[in-house]
Amino acid sequence: MMLNPSDGLPDDRKSLYPQSQSSAYKCGDKTSPISVILVSSGSRGNKLLFRYPYQKVAECPSSLSAKQRNPYVLNTSGDELDDQDGDSREQSPLTDEQLVAGFSDIVLSTILATKSDMCGKKFELKIDNVRFVGHPTLLQHPPIIQVSKTDPSPKREMPTMILFNVVFALRANADPSVISCMHNLSRRIAIALQHEERRCQYLTREAKLMLAVQEEITTTETDGSPQSPFRQILPKCKLARDLKEAYDSLCTTGVVRLHINDWLEVSFCLPHKIHRIGDTYIPPEALERSLKAIRPYHALLLLENEKTLLSQLPLDCSPALIRLIKTCSAVKNLQQLAQDADLALLQIFQIAAHLVYWGKAIIIYPLCENNVYMLSPHANICLYSPLAEQFARQFPGHDLPSMLAKFSLPVSLAEFRNPLEAPTQEAQLIQMVVWMLQRRLLIQLHTYVCLLVPPSEDEPGLRDEDPPLAARVGGRSLSTPSALSFGSPTSSDDMTLTSPSMENSSAELLTGGDSPLNKRMTETLLASLSEHERQFILNIPAAQNPEDLRMFARLLHYFRGHHHLEEIMYNENMRRSQLKTLFDKFRSVLVVTNHEDPIISIFQSPMD
Amino acid sequence: MGKKLIGCPVCIEHKKYSRNALLFNLGLVCDARTNTCSLEPIVKKLSGYLTTLELESGFISKEESKQKLLPIMSTLLEDLNATGACTLPIDESNTIHLKLIQLRKDPPIVQEYDVPVFTQCKDHFIKSQWDLTTQQILPYIDGFRHIQKISAEADVELNLVRIAVQNLLYYGVVTLVSIFQYSNVYCTTPKVQSLIDDKSIQEECLNYVTKQGQKRASLRDVFQLYCGLSPGTTVRDLCSRYSQQLQRVDERRLIQFGLMKCLIRRLQKYPVKVIRDERSRPPRLYTGCHSYDEICCKTGITYQELDERLENDPNIVVCWK
Repeated sequence: MMLNPSDGLPDDRKSLYPQSQSSAYKCGDKTSPISVILVSSGSRGNKLLFRYPYQKVAECPSSLSAKQRNPYVLNTSGDELDDQDGDSREQSPLTDEQLVAGFSDIVLSTILATKSDMCGKKFELKIDNVRFVGHPTLLQHPPIIQVSKTDPSPKREMPTMILFNVVFALRANADPSVISCMHNLSRRIAIALQHEERRCQYLTREAKLMLAVQEEITTTETDGSPQSPFRQILPKCKLARDLKEAYDSLCTTGVVRLHINDWLEVSFCLPHKIHRIGDTYIPPEALERSLKAIRPYHALLLLENEKTLLSQLPLDCSPALIRLIKTCSAVKNLQQLAQDADLALLQIFQIAAHLVYWGKAIIIYPLCENNVYMLSPHANICLYSPLAEQFARQFPGHDLPSMLAKFSLPVSLAEFRNPLEAPTQEAQLIQMVVWMLQRRLLIQLHTYVCLLVPPSEDEPGLRDEDPPLAARVGGRSLSTPSALSFGSPTSSDDMTLTSPSMENSSAELLTGGDSPLNKRMTETLLASLSEHERQFILNIPAAQNPEDLRMFARLLHYFRGHHHLEEIMYNENMRRSQLKTLFDKFRSVLVVTNHEDPIISIFQSPMD
Repeated sequence: MGKKLIGCPVCIEHKKYSRNALLFNLGLVCDARTNTCSLEPIVKKLSGYLTTLELESGFISKEESKQKLLPIMSTLLEDLNATGACTLPIDESNTIHLKLIQLRKDPPIVQEYDVPVFTQCKDHFIKSQWDLTTQQILPYIDGFRHIQKISAEADVELNLVRIAVQNLLYYGVVTLVSIFQYSNVYCTTPKVQSLIDDKSIQEECLNYVTKQGQKRASLRDVFQLYCGLSPGTTVRDLCSRYSQQLQRVDERRLIQFGLMKCLIRRLQKYPVKVIRDERSRPPRLYTGCHSYDEICCKTGITYQELDERLENDPNIVVCWK
């Protein structure tokens, strides 16, 4: 950016900026790109091959047009950015369109076509309010260039392209995660283009077409009326249409699917557009954290109906994916799904994470009658919302607000059951609950339990100094097969289809008999407590029953408020009634509360 | 390289220079991963200053004054990294002052039924540094008065109060909670566990909620009280059920702290008029978009009155969220 103190801008040009600013803001929000640009650098210098949209681009920095005061002035090398090839740049008169659009083609080609040693890395450049992000890629030509028979160009000598860069221009204040996603897309397109170039010189051919159209337009522009060469390029070049499609998709749905040269598929999704609840989006890092924490007792809920989803898949997609989609259901947990679809649990996790990332599914706790649901704080309960309309169409005779009102207080599905009603009513209720879960209107509440022993009366100070149980027992890791890292799968030993294996298997404690072994185990487990706590617990009437005490000691490490009832049931293979009775017996030292599961609540409500 | 470069190049064209132009650029080198938005205004300001200096006295082009650049740059680097502010004396008549300003998120819109509460002790703030409107409303911000009430009692126009509080929100001086009533219903959020896990929040909480002049409340009592809040339970119910735990705890401050730290959340009531006949007018306020708090504030009726009105209307359902 150049600051020219002796700014000789005529007044009418100055007034253009507010206008171009307002029109630039019309297109999309912070997660949408402002423009897509393709530049190349080669033996003929730096070229801007294509840009879209060609009318409204970045906000114009006032100083840039200072250079373009007079459209007939030659561009001198007062430009301090070096032209690495040292070639003279072709001079073309700048049209009004290009001026209004902010950065001119020539400036863009200079700044975006980098040197070769910046290739293969992330490229990011911010100028005032615009941020350019791309992945410059080096092209390697085979030593003998075959002149393709289908090459339309009459010239025998092929100007070589050394590198190219697919650049997305974003608003400067875009989120870093959006920037790295755009870089990812640029890289994907670059890989496809590089491959096609090696195979059949696709990029060189498209570039030639683009440049030919640009030259044609400038030479025929004798009457001074500006035409955008890029508009003419679109019908002639597939690559230009692909780039335009990428831009349009990014601005609307966030899902990009291109077929470079009608051959290579490039697919990409922008999580910020897909995972939106109202106005806010779920940041991808939060999404990934949640996905890493899913457990075999969770379930996968598809957000679209099975047929629609299957039709969206490419022809050569993995059969495992198809099998999973066909077998998954809201009442089946992932472990059951693995058995039914005949796939390894690890694979199920990976495919599930993939579907969630692409916004095709969410993670829930499998539907069962003991599940307790409540209205989500972010649910749109407005009478005139599009959701209300959809609901009325899907379930005639019912209206959404009345249904939602039923979930004002936490209610379990069992409470809806009416033995006098026909079973179809119940089935419809399940469908309605699934519908509401898919649209993030409901959250599920779980019971969490925390051990807090009443402080001793005589030594109040001591109690407060004891670190809470959570801190003391923190070292133990509950490693049920859950670890899912993107990239390095855990060993398949952990991912068995049989019962979960726990490192600190407290299942070793035999439930029968009061053997000295069991007693010692109980003592060891209680050893992590302070003396006062242990005494208090042992004095509880329920503790006199060795079975109960043993169960309590065994489950001690769950009582930190981070594991809900269903998780304990799953890990320890216990019944709900057993646990509830235990909690009741030891209620003088346990504090129980209900709230949503923070791991999967991200799918219902964005991070606050 | 892993580094980020921030610069603002300047070009001064004049015949006296040996190429008819002087080009210079004072830049900052930072780690690629850091957020450098707040450094940009500094770079811009510096380039503006240097340009002026050059135009006035040829600061950069003259050899003697150019030497001064080195100590200036090292002071800049050290002071900005140490304190975020620096003063650069150039010569007898010129000094440059620079300061890093933190960019904050845009604050939400403040509604008339929101209640501002100070995040730190009120006395920490020097009143005279704030604008007149803020100074006038400061004494009325007690964590219990809502915006409408503050406006009425401080005799300041409602929108001015909203803007002033929004400004305080921007700087993190206050945060917003909801109106307190004994009929309110709250429920816990997953963050409530942080009371157990995080020692500093524990300390802060116990100090905040203990009744004046009493021995410090125990963690167990306070945690039990928070966990006792659940849908369907009003604060009044809580007080009668947990009277023993409340001996040393001020329930109003308990709720306030819980809301400020997001350990609990308020469940608001939203009436929705489920349309039954075509002839009646479409509902204006009973659409599910306006809570009881908002309706009562706007229309001036009390909760009880609104409750009575709506309970007798079979066309209206109430959602809690």
